[in-house]
Amino acid sequence: MDKLLTTQLYKYHLEQKSKLIDFAGWEMPFSYDGTLKEHNYVRNSCGFFDVSHMGRLIINIDEIDNISKLICSDIINLDNSKALYTIFTNKNGKSLDDVIFWKFEEKLVLICNASNREKISKHLNINGIKFDDQTFDTCLIAIQGPDSEKLMNNLIDSPARFSAIDNGNYIYARTGYTGEDGFEIMFNNSKLNEVMKYINDKNINPCGLGSRDTLRLEASLPLYGFELSEEISPIEANLKWVLTNKEDYLGKDKIEDELNNGKHKILKKFIINSKKIARTGTKVKNNNINGVVTSGNYSPILEKSIGYALFDSNPESDLIEFDIRGNFIEGNIINKRFLS
Amino acid sequence: MTEKKYLETHEWFSINDNEITVGISDFAQSELGDIVFVTLPSVDETFSKGEGMVEVEATKTVAEVYAPMDITISEVNNKLDSEPELINSDPCGDGWIIKGTIKELENIGMSYQEYESFIS
Repeated sequence: MDKLLTTQLYKYHLEQKSKLIDFAGWEMPFSYDGTLKEHNYVRNSCGFFDVSHMGRLIINIDEIDNISKLICSDIINLDNSKALYTIFTNKNGKSLDDVIFWKFEEKLVLICNASNREKISKHLNINGIKFDDQTFDTCLIAIQGPDSEKLMNNLIDSPARFSAIDNGNYIYARTGYTGEDGFEIMFNNSKLNEVMKYINDKNINPCGLGSRDTLRLEASLPLYGFELSEEISPIEANLKWVLTNKEDYLGKDKIEDELNNGKHKILKKFIINSKKIARTGTKVKNNNINGVVTSGNYSPILEKSIGYALFDSNPESDLIEFDIRGNFIEGNIINKRFLS
Repeated sequence: MTEKKYLETHEWFSINDNEITVGISDFAQSELGDIVFVTLPSVDETFSKGEGMVEVEATKTVAEVYAPMDITISEVNNKLDSEPELINSDPCGDGWIIKGTIKELENIGMSYQEYESFIS
């Protein structure tokens, strides 16, 4: 096995005695104080995540028309200093990666999933788009939770929601992946000590990938490799709202076919009232419509088992049945978000 | 009450007369992470050695607790219904899982020292 990559915070993770796991080829913290505790830090006050494993590609603004041809959202008419969640589609209209762009006057910052950094880099290269991969030269820290703004305001000025700022020292945006207010801050590796001193002085607790997953699932947010993949389109993942690119882009014809004929798989959220978690890969049925669980876990706020399942076609009712290790367990599709 | 013995499947058990108490080891709870649901068997249910008796759902994964020998359930730790985290906080004490009547006593299991070297 190749040696795992580590972020600049690796020593910190070791010092904090976090449980480390292999995540997309990176040795990353799964938890420090326990997933449920960390989940509650973020829901109730604030926590920080080392997300430096995610790809950070800097693209000159001159390339914006070329980028637009590869993504399903309108980046051309997006204002400067705004963040955009979008999906790189393939020629079949399925998902190569779900990413965030931060748009500035002279550049785009593309934040992609760690597992897809090489794939997206290759995709940009094939399409003649120049970029500077700063993944290894910079850190990326996510500060999440209702107290984030208050705790971070001595380090950074707060942008509006889904806006981004480049102040020369930090490039950051107010987005998030937990359903809470929060900031993603990118900075040169040389600034790590300064940032960590600030975070420690403010007693912001570290959180690992375990709570990142329970938080994003509870916040009804998809995870690439589970709810999205090269076999799953944005429409199938129930992300029609990202389809704002009116110009032509890779796979647009296939996506429009799906929209017009309605023949596609469909992702649904579910709740199980019994003490069983339907984990990734669990088979599920609605009458004769088959599905498979893409993600399933415990919701600490609802205190219930929740998840996403991808059905072959639109279920006819909300009652579904899982096959959990040979036991048939009932669940319900829910159409609203898990958290109101 | 005998000294606790440990199994390769990470249960601990202790025996008092003909009654066995079973839980999971500190190592097992630590590997599982936060335990959120425990599905307990019913009193009087019988299990053969090696059969799954209990399902422990954690945020990270799910684990089964296997019967160390042929037993009939005599008591379950009902506290785990509302406080499954007791297995995390006190796996070898308040986080015990089931008690059972032993059908046939077997001389099995590792000592704590043996188990420690097994997991390290």
